[in-house]
Amino acid sequence: MTMMDNVSRRDLLKLSAAGVLGVSTSGWFNVLASRAAETRRQHKSCILLWMDGGPSHKDTFDLRPGTAQGGPFQQIQTSVNGIQISEHFPRFARQMQHAAIIRSMSTGEGAHGRAKYYLHTGYKEGVGGLHYPSIGSIAAMEIGDRNNPMPNFVSIGNRSYGSGFLGPRHQPLIVNSAARGVDNLRPLVAERQFTSRVGLLDELEQSFHRTHEAGTSLAHRTTYQRAVTLMRDRGARAFDISGESQATRTAYGSGAFGEGCLLARRLVEAGVTFVEVTLGGWDTHQNNFNRVRQLSQQVDQAMSQLVADLRERGLLDSTLVIWMGEFGRTPRINNRGAQPGRDHFPRAWSSVLIGGGVRGGQVIGRTDAEAATVAERPVNTLDFMATICRILGIDYTKMNQTPIGRPIRIVDRGGNHIRELV
Amino acid sequence: MAASARTAAHGLLALLLVSVGSAAADDAPAKKPGVAKSKAVKSAPAARMDAAALARLIDQQVNSRLEAEGVQASPRADDGEFLRRAYLDLVGVIPPPEKVTEFLDATNPDKRARLIDELLTNPRFGSHMAETWSNLMLPVESNNRRVQSGPFRTWLAAGFNKNTPLNKLVHDLLTASGPQNQNGAVTYFIANPTVDKITDNVTKMFLGVRLQCAQCHNHPFVEIKQDEYWGMAGFFRKVRLSQNPNKAAKTGTSVGISEVGNVGKGRKAPLPESAKNVPARFLGGEQPKMNPAEPFRPVVAKWLTSADNPYFARAMTNRVWYQLFGRGICNPVDDMHDGNPPSHPELLTALSEQLKANDFDLRYLIRAICNSQAYQRTSKPAGNNKDDKELFSHAAVRVLTPEQLYDSLTSIVGQGRVALAPKRKQAAGQRGAGGPRDAFIAFFRVDESSDPTEYQAGIPQALRLMNSPQTSSAAVIERLAGKGIEPRQVIEQLVITVLSRRPTDQEIQRFTQYVAMQDSPRAGYADVLWALLNSSEFALNH
Repeated sequence: MTMMDNVSRRDLLKLSAAGVLGVSTSGWFNVLASRAAETRRQHKSCILLWMDGGPSHKDTFDLRPGTAQGGPFQQIQTSVNGIQISEHFPRFARQMQHAAIIRSMSTGEGAHGRAKYYLHTGYKEGVGGLHYPSIGSIAAMEIGDRNNPMPNFVSIGNRSYGSGFLGPRHQPLIVNSAARGVDNLRPLVAERQFTSRVGLLDELEQSFHRTHEAGTSLAHRTTYQRAVTLMRDRGARAFDISGESQATRTAYGSGAFGEGCLLARRLVEAGVTFVEVTLGGWDTHQNNFNRVRQLSQQVDQAMSQLVADLRERGLLDSTLVIWMGEFGRTPRINNRGAQPGRDHFPRAWSSVLIGGGVRGGQVIGRTDAEAATVAERPVNTLDFMATICRILGIDYTKMNQTPIGRPIRIVDRGGNHIRELV
Repeated sequence: MAASARTAAHGLLALLLVSVGSAAADDAPAKKPGVAKSKAVKSAPAARMDAAALARLIDQQVNSRLEAEGVQASPRADDGEFLRRAYLDLVGVIPPPEKVTEFLDATNPDKRARLIDELLTNPRFGSHMAETWSNLMLPVESNNRRVQSGPFRTWLAAGFNKNTPLNKLVHDLLTASGPQNQNGAVTYFIANPTVDKITDNVTKMFLGVRLQCAQCHNHPFVEIKQDEYWGMAGFFRKVRLSQNPNKAAKTGTSVGISEVGNVGKGRKAPLPESAKNVPARFLGGEQPKMNPAEPFRPVVAKWLTSADNPYFARAMTNRVWYQLFGRGICNPVDDMHDGNPPSHPELLTALSEQLKANDFDLRYLIRAICNSQAYQRTSKPAGNNKDDKELFSHAAVRVLTPEQLYDSLTSIVGQGRVALAPKRKQAAGQRGAGGPRDAFIAFFRVDESSDPTEYQAGIPQALRLMNSPQTSSAAVIERLAGKGIEPRQVIEQLVITVLSRRPTDQEIQRFTQYVAMQDSPRAGYADVLWALLNSSEFALNH
């Protein structure tokens, strides 16, 4: 099977000349998107909004206004009676019926690196000498469409936690900047020349494989074929947000995070299983309240627009949106610096789950008067990961083989999904 | 998922072997396979062989097994194949084009042996070995983001280039103390700052035993108890870091390693929850008398690197073999126990004995292996040997490591061309100081325990190689085609430069025909260069 496959060289040149292989506008994308939605309705998607640095729970979703350590933020009512959140999420407050807040996260790791790893993979870094896969790679492998030319796990922003021992097929495709799109998706030469050189490469590949018959060269060739297919796939148009109207882009907010959320929506529409969008800056040891306010405003705009758009497209029930960081922040305010701050706090914190078929409009668990310890229904990392898997339709007890010969469960023993949610 | 199926089958086979073994024994209860015991009968030291004689022994052993199994051996690799493979394996980069023509045209019958000697004394040999070891010994973890690997590689490279005997090198490594900027070897302990981490790595690298499982419970497949794990770990309990590496990085000071006589100054290495308080004890051996006021590491270092140690020479031999063949005589390379027997037990024993008899001379061992027919076979299958992986009937096709790929690419297109994504803060998985080479390596990094014969890269890597400037270098075309040279010659130069061999007549014909069909010769040559640089033949070590 050559890369040319069903399309003859002449046809390809014709199409190329007609601009079909170039940047497209409107028409194509909508058709593809609805087709993708068709096939994807069989399995779910996930958008992880990763709040890097550990957002203060006491200033976002578990407030104690009017107390000595409560800080200056007020609470507002949401669309669900009895649930109140920070005043800086006015738009999201009106969508509470689709969301569940987990106020009893308790995860133990208080160092950034270890905690981020733990909350992405469900395993502690380095244990057993393995590199554990992140939830994105797990989802790509378990529920991703194998025939999708689009990658099943995309990470927008700086850091990514990869596939670990699951291997390269489930590595995330990294998009450093949503505005710029995928690095290296476009060839350096004109389309016609690219097609020509790809043909030449394929001849070399066939020849080498004929004489060496090695699995390695076959895998090399297959990877390249998939890469070229992606370059030509109309679905790859999804990576280009310049196709969206100015109104839409304004609605999401002009920063990188807003653009990332918009891109995430497009990718989910195009059939991508798992998209992670990072918003950094939450590590507010200093100047906690100013920074949290600004960040909350960004989240409120982008996240609520994302949820609204998904709902409008009939995708909210099949798309789980997760809002979380690696831990919360100290209930006590520190006055070390010029502006008050809060420090790391994994003992009790909050995360939010929206859509995905989750039973919305509820709060899971409760913390004490200071939001310092979990008073009711603790949720540890394993429980949390188990819940995500359950919502996405992944069997979290399943074992995967590893290079050292030791099978590893998707979620380690001891994790139980939150039954009230699923 | 062939790898996982194979490993699963492997594990299952190991268990089956155990149960079959126990069924055969009359009244013996089902016993797990064990690791070597220190009290094994000491045989008389072997008569010393020179490298040429050892090479012949290798072939005698490999060939007799091939015969016994009825598997055909592939013929000798041609000069181009051998040259490229030897360069990649010994100095981590493809040969320069002048070297290719020189070697291909040389007529002396001992040119291969001479090449091996030349490469072993090339300073790149030291840095390539150092990098290979460093990747296995310094784990890439979030805690280690600020730990510089440079000093470690420099120290190791010096040792390899001086041809320091392996037992001395490892002994010095295990007992290293002082600040990192004075003794790069201490990086090993800075990057593995807890007792369990250092124990896992020391036993894996130098004993060839994976103890990790036994950290928390008795090993499920092999007869290693949790107490034995913590017995070995006991030797590292006194190691202390002088400060937090993150802090050191911020203040520009060096982290130091020392052993404290009692609990006192210096950053205490935290013990994991699974830790058991048992006295220090050699794996499979006795409990030595320890002086609580003295450092512990010299005791284990002496035991580990002594000629009597049942693991060290075998582990080192197996690892060197693995580096040259892509597969250990015992495979996986760091999993040497009764349940995972070597494919050629007498060969492994003979090689280990000779390593010892030749004072742990690494160059000697490599010289012997590389001069064997087994090493010099072509990677093209022949007759019925296509599916053989274990008998060394033909050379394995391996993937270039990220380091080999970068160094080879830059040797062709120059450093400036291997452009990267815009500079950001240090990426997850980056080991070194953060220059273009380190960023490239992090982008292409594979798990250090993964199989070298499995292609691990994904779509992002393919996109990067296809569509970023490094594989479209106008400068190279200018250099080769600029003087109005005939197409035939340009093609030949391109193939020599990229694939380290001469093109066949058929290839010359095909490429010149291709170039003639393009818009311009320049465009045509650029396409040929691009295709060669993106080909399997370039990306693989075959």
